[in-house]
Amino acid sequence: MLTPEQSVVAAILLCLAGAVLTLLVSRSKTVAGWLAFAITAGSAALVLSAVVPVLTKGPGHPAQFLTMPAVGFALRIYVDGLSSIFLLLAVLVAVPAALYSIRYMKHYADYGVGRYYPHSLLFLAAMYGLLTTTDMMWFFFIFWQLMTLPGYALIRYEHRKPENVRAANKYLVMMQIACAATMVGAWFLAVVGATATGSDSLKYDFDTVSANLPAMLASKPFDTGVAFALFLAGFGIKMGMWPFGQVWLPDAHPAAPSPVSAMLSGVMIKTGVYGLMRYFLWLVPPDAHANYPLANWGWLIAILGTVTLFTGTMQALKQEQSKRLLAFHSIGQIGYILLGTGACMALLPVVEPTGNVRLLAAIAFFGAIFHVLNHGLFKALLFLNAGSMLHATGTQDLNKLGGLIKFMPLTAVTALVASLSISGVPLFNGFASKWSIYVATIQGTGAAKYLAVCGVIAILTSALTLASFIKFFGVSFLSRTSALVKQQAAKRSKLEVCGLMQAPQVFLAVLCVALGVVPALAFQLMGAALNSSRQGFGTALANAAPMTSTPVAGLETVNNTALFAPVALAVVLGLMFLVVRAISKLGGAQRRAAAPWLCGYASEAECHRYVAHNFYGEIKRYFKWLGGSPAKKK
Amino acid sequence: MNLLQPILLGLLNIVTVLLVAPFCEGLLRKITARIQSRQGPPVRQAYFDLLKLLGKEDIESGESPIMQRVAVYLSLATVLTIACLVPMGFSAPMNGAGDAILLIYLLTLAGVCTLLAGLAAGSTYSLVGISREMMAMIALEPLFAIAVVVGAVHAGSFRLDTVLNGAVYGEGFPLSGIVMFAVLLLSFQAFVQRVPFDISEAETELMEGPLMEYSGPKLALFKYAQQAKLVIYSGLFVTLFVPWGNGLAFPLGWLVFWAKVFALVLLVTLVAATHARYRIDQAIRYFAGLLAVALVALILASYGY
Repeated sequence: MLTPEQSVVAAILLCLAGAVLTLLVSRSKTVAGWLAFAITAGSAALVLSAVVPVLTKGPGHPAQFLTMPAVGFALRIYVDGLSSIFLLLAVLVAVPAALYSIRYMKHYADYGVGRYYPHSLLFLAAMYGLLTTTDMMWFFFIFWQLMTLPGYALIRYEHRKPENVRAANKYLVMMQIACAATMVGAWFLAVVGATATGSDSLKYDFDTVSANLPAMLASKPFDTGVAFALFLAGFGIKMGMWPFGQVWLPDAHPAAPSPVSAMLSGVMIKTGVYGLMRYFLWLVPPDAHANYPLANWGWLIAILGTVTLFTGTMQALKQEQSKRLLAFHSIGQIGYILLGTGACMALLPVVEPTGNVRLLAAIAFFGAIFHVLNHGLFKALLFLNAGSMLHATGTQDLNKLGGLIKFMPLTAVTALVASLSISGVPLFNGFASKWSIYVATIQGTGAAKYLAVCGVIAILTSALTLASFIKFFGVSFLSRTSALVKQQAAKRSKLEVCGLMQAPQVFLAVLCVALGVVPALAFQLMGAALNSSRQGFGTALANAAPMTSTPVAGLETVNNTALFAPVALAVVLGLMFLVVRAISKLGGAQRRAAAPWLCGYASEAECHRYVAHNFYGEIKRYFKWLGGSPAKKK
Repeated sequence: MNLLQPILLGLLNIVTVLLVAPFCEGLLRKITARIQSRQGPPVRQAYFDLLKLLGKEDIESGESPIMQRVAVYLSLATVLTIACLVPMGFSAPMNGAGDAILLIYLLTLAGVCTLLAGLAAGSTYSLVGISREMMAMIALEPLFAIAVVVGAVHAGSFRLDTVLNGAVYGEGFPLSGIVMFAVLLLSFQAFVQRVPFDISEAETELMEGPLMEYSGPKLALFKYAQQAKLVIYSGLFVTLFVPWGNGLAFPLGWLVFWAKVFALVLLVTLVAATHARYRIDQAIRYFAGLLAVALVALILASYGY
């Protein structure tokens, strides 16, 4: 039986071997696709076999696989609860994305898969590694580059389009800056000659740095401050935080093939969140509280999060390209995660006798990490939906779409689920995590005055998100059938994607609904994760246990100030639905289909359709200064 | 856990809302007619209208009739569910199923159903109306949310029975509560989608906007949902800002509650009958002003004022 650490290394090695194998068989798209899927699934099984024991029985011990003392080079892997949650997300998105790729990649007539499957497997291996390595310098560098370079190749997959190459170059430059920032930060924190848990060779290891931090924080407050600022910048670039995110993310996500976009937005940018949580909350030992300005960092991150969520979403509202719209929403949703993390960091150091504030800090953290999971699921699903639309119609332009629900009913339903999830509609997964963030920020006002305003801006932004997805879903699937869709439907017998592409969409949609109706499952999972990662501030968070969560009764904060029982709500709503349906049948009215009425002046034509461009004109005008408007057509 | 009481209270709320909603509509029409020196239909006409529509032909114009049906059913179903979250003379029936944040989002969901129905119908007029309605919702949702949040900050809790009990005033009338009262009073017409803020429906230019393509039972359900919304929002306003007397013993508390709701409906009618519709950009500017004031109130509230 492998230990969790060995399993993860095995998964990484499997993916690396798979990269070579898929390259060898890349002549056949089908064979390479199935092979890549099998390897992804195999590595997922290995990772799950690491995650499950960690979450149920607690973490093992860090395992060292490779050492080179001369340069402080050590492959030390440690799977704890925090890593497990992110690994779980990676697996939940990677497997559907790999399955989706098999058929999706076939529609690229003039691009081979030799540059696709090997790179996507390397990309996955790098994420497994980055989420488990304890080395802040060399192996961090190796895994980061292993993620960045294949990512670069995947983004410029359609390299004959110059805009894709430009997007990929931007991505590469930004990731290298981020890499440098985090490594310089680590260099600031590493003490030469430190011997805490290991030898000199491990001076960049989490344990060593963590052991030395109290002394560092006391003696060199400026240096450590710079280090943490660099971490914030580095991981901020990765996750798409304002103002860095706007530079690369909206270009990179639409350029990549859709399953890769799903991985980029669903998982890759979350490694930045992981880094932020790991470095700011887990690295600092509890006895260094006095010299560590956690509340100030929390303030900064919460404000940055609020700015990120508002700007990202407002810019998304202006978009008319499906995947570009989703990419801007990734920035917006990362803002929620940052706000939750920031609120947690702001509230955690507050000392007061009732322990109420600490409770709220833990709720904020739960909200942040639950939103990481939720965003991974619904955003991956949305990118797959956008991929299906692209596959069926050959365009990302929402202005040219319409009425797709008639031709692609299953994709439409899953897209509706994802749209409602991301907008935070109750009974879908986005609501439960946003709810936690609101509860924490608004009730935390007593300890940090600015949090209530942040919380209300987040509520406002959630209405903006809804507006954007009403547009996204409405103009592409509902509205009237557009000329392009009619033409494509006439050309092909059926527009709906095949079963192999439907299955991943259905899988993710079911997860979205399941986590929305029974969020208690996720809360228990996160509770277990915190329990198995008790270092630094993780201990305080694990001890707080702020929620009672049972599958049927739902969630309730321990101090009885907020509660959400989705099952009861679903039952009432379902009953009301049946009652209303019965009322509508009372009169025995006949149904008849007819075309919409155009006032009798003209027969319907393409120019009469109200398209994405026409939506929300006034709001777009008032927020023109915020940027992000799509370029005018020439 | 005792389930009987919430179920009975919930049924009471739902039945009351269903019975009272058309009555309010009838009253509204009658008073409007009188203000405009007309005779006006009898109050019971609103009930007859709904019953008649239920039997009329149901024309489905969209690409997906199923979507249209689901959206319409869900629209009224959501409104009725919200009725179970509002204390109407008694405690809120679904007090144990959700808090004030859920209430905010369910109110949004009720709006979303209308939007989806309009989108599914596919008429260009509907889509223009939807774009307007959504823009109004973007401004209105935070206004209501801030009112609730101010209450939650003063009370330190999100529970419905705490917040929907005049919590905005906390102890001793803080400034923030009074400001929010004014703000919500000034935007109340918009929440219940009456003139001067019925921009999304605008009979004279958009021909009912999202509802344009609907007829027969679907239109009846939409109308019903809209009428119920007037009652529920009035109830919410009363519980948030005018809580006095709600806690009295039955039947006094119940009567006081409904008297206040009718007074509010009367106010809505008077304003609607004497004002002209705003343009969407004028309305958004107006909401933005209120939103700025509300944010100031929120900051005041977080400092305890």
